[in-house]
Amino acid sequence: MNPMPVSVSYSELLRLTWPEIAVTLAGILILALDLTVLRRASLAARLRSGVAIACAGCIAALFLLGYSDAFASLPGSMLVITPLTHVVQMALLALAIFTLLLSFSIRFTSHIGEYFALILFATVAMMFLVATQNLLLIFVALEFLSLSLYILTGFDKHSRQSAEAALKYFLFGGMSAGFLLFGMSLLYGLSGSIELPKIAAALSGPAPGPGYDPLLWVAIVMVAIGFGFKIAAAPFHLWAPDAYQGAPTVSAGFLASSSKVASFFIFAQVVAVALAPVAGSGAARAYTPGWVPTLILIAALSMVVGNLAALAQTSLRRLLAYSAIGHAGYMLLGIIAHSPRGLSALLYYVITYALAVVGAFGVLGALESEGIDRIADLAGLSKRAPGLALCLLIFLLSLAGIPPLSGFFAKFYIFSAALESEPHLGLLWLILLAVAMSAVSLYYYLRVLKAAYVAPAPLDQPKLRIAPATRLTLWILAALVVLVGCAPSLLLNSLGIR
Amino acid sequence: MVPISWYLILSAVLFSIGVAAFFIKRNIITVFMSIELMLNAVNLTFVGFAQQWHEVSGQIFVFFVMVVAAAEAAVGLAIIIAVFRARSTLNVDQIDLMKL
Repeated sequence: MNPMPVSVSYSELLRLTWPEIAVTLAGILILALDLTVLRRASLAARLRSGVAIACAGCIAALFLLGYSDAFASLPGSMLVITPLTHVVQMALLALAIFTLLLSFSIRFTSHIGEYFALILFATVAMMFLVATQNLLLIFVALEFLSLSLYILTGFDKHSRQSAEAALKYFLFGGMSAGFLLFGMSLLYGLSGSIELPKIAAALSGPAPGPGYDPLLWVAIVMVAIGFGFKIAAAPFHLWAPDAYQGAPTVSAGFLASSSKVASFFIFAQVVAVALAPVAGSGAARAYTPGWVPTLILIAALSMVVGNLAALAQTSLRRLLAYSAIGHAGYMLLGIIAHSPRGLSALLYYVITYALAVVGAFGVLGALESEGIDRIADLAGLSKRAPGLALCLLIFLLSLAGIPPLSGFFAKFYIFSAALESEPHLGLLWLILLAVAMSAVSLYYYLRVLKAAYVAPAPLDQPKLRIAPATRLTLWILAALVVLVGCAPSLLLNSLGIR
Repeated sequence: MVPISWYLILSAVLFSIGVAAFFIKRNIITVFMSIELMLNAVNLTFVGFAQQWHEVSGQIFVFFVMVVAAAEAAVGLAIIIAVFRARSTLNVDQIDLMKL
C-alpha cells in the first residue's frame, strides 16, 4: 500500500460543516448562559431561554443546510454529502426541535443548560454520523452519540430507575461498541483501508488469499452484532425495554426516534457500500452466504420477538419498546433489499416512524406528569383529555400501519422494495411473516386505544391540564403524520422514489 | 518476524475473555473492565494489520479508540456512582427494578 499524503483544506472543511458548527455553538451558548447570566433566574425562565436558543440553533442549521452544496466530499471519504444525507440531517434537526419543544415542561432536573446542550451535541454527532463514509469517523460519531444518550438516560438523579436504565444501556452499548470495532478492524485488515468505497473495491478484487475468507465472515457477523445493539434488533435488544422505561420521557422519545434514524442510515451505508461485493442472498432456493442472510435472520427474529413480547406488556413504555424491536425488524427489510429503492423506503419508514414515536412519547410525558403509566390507567382518557386521546390514536394507528396514515405507506414501500430485491419472489416468506406480525401488532395498539376510548371512566376525575407548548407540538406532529400519509410524495420525492 | 496470525489469535483470545467476563462477572466494575479488555484486544488487531499493510490509518484508529475509551470511562464511572448512591450495591444481580 502506498501511503498517499491526504491534504484537507480547512476552509473547505469549515464551509461544509457550517450546519454542525451552528448547532454546536448553540449548545455551548446555552451552557455558558445557564451558568452565568441565568444562574439566579427561575426554572421556568431558564427553560424558556434554553429552548429558545436551542431551537434557534437548529433552525439556523436547517437554513444553512438548505443553502449548502448538494454534492460535496472531503478526501478520505471523511465527509460525503449527497441530497440524501441532507434530507436525513434535516429530519434529525426537525426531530431535535420537536424534542426540545416537548421538554418545555420537564420537572425532573434543575440542570437545564446541560440537558439541552446534550440534546444538541447528540444531534451534532448524528449529523456527522450520516455524512461520513470513513470507519474512523463513523466510530467516533457513534460513540459521541452513545455517550450523550447514556447521560440523557440517567439524567433524572432522583429516580432509581433512571440510574439503572442508564447502567444497562451503558454496559450493553459499551459491549456493542467493542463488537463493532472488532468488525471494523477485520474489515481494515482485509482491505487495508478505512474508507467504505475502498473497502468495497478491495473486497471485490481477487481474494487476497485462501486464509482470509473466514475473517470476512467474522467481520460481517461482528458488524451485524454491533449495529444490531444500536438499532435494538433481537436478539441484541435486552437493554431497550429497560432504557425506554427508566429514562426520563423526553430522553426516551429522543433515543427512540433520532438515534434510530441515524443508526439505520449508517448501518445501511456500511453494509451496502463497503460490503456490497459480499451481499449474498437469502432467497428460498438460491441461498448464498453473505450479510443478507445474516440480516434476514435478525429481522425475522426481531419481528417475532418484539411483537409477541409486546402483547404481554402492561406498561405503556415497555409496550412501545417491544414494538420498537418489531419495527426494527421491518426496517431491516429495507437494508436487506440493498437497492436504492430499498434505501429510500427505509428512510421513509424510519422518518415517519420517528415522528410517530416522538409524538407517542410526548403523550406519555403529558400523562406521566398526572401519574398515568399503565395501560389500564388510561380509562376515560377520551373524556378527560379529548385532544390528547386523539393524538395518541393517530400516532398508534400510524405505528400499526392503518391506511390513510404514514405508517401504512412506509410498510407498503418497504415490503414491496424487499419483495422486488430477489427474482422469483424469493423473499416472499419473509414478507408474509412481516405482514402477519403487523396484524399481531394491531392487536396491542388497539388494546391501548380501547382503554383510552371504550373502557368505562372512573367517576369524578378532573380534566387533564396539559402545557400549551406540549399541546401545540403534539398537534403539529399529528398533522405531519397525517399529511405525510395522505401525500407521501412530499417526502418520497426528496428521498428519490418516484 | 512474527506472522500476523499470531497477533490475530492473541487478540481473538483477549476479546473472547472480555466477552466471557462481561457475562460471567457479577461486579459492575469488573464488567466494565471486561469492556475495556475487548477494546484493547481490538487495538492489537488494528496495530497488527497496520504493520502488515504498512499503512498508518490503523495506528491512528488506535489513538482514537483510547481517547473514546477514556471518555467512556468518565461517563461510565459517573453512572456507576449514581447507581451505587441509589441502591448501595454494585452487584448486577441486585439491580433488578425493571423486569419483563
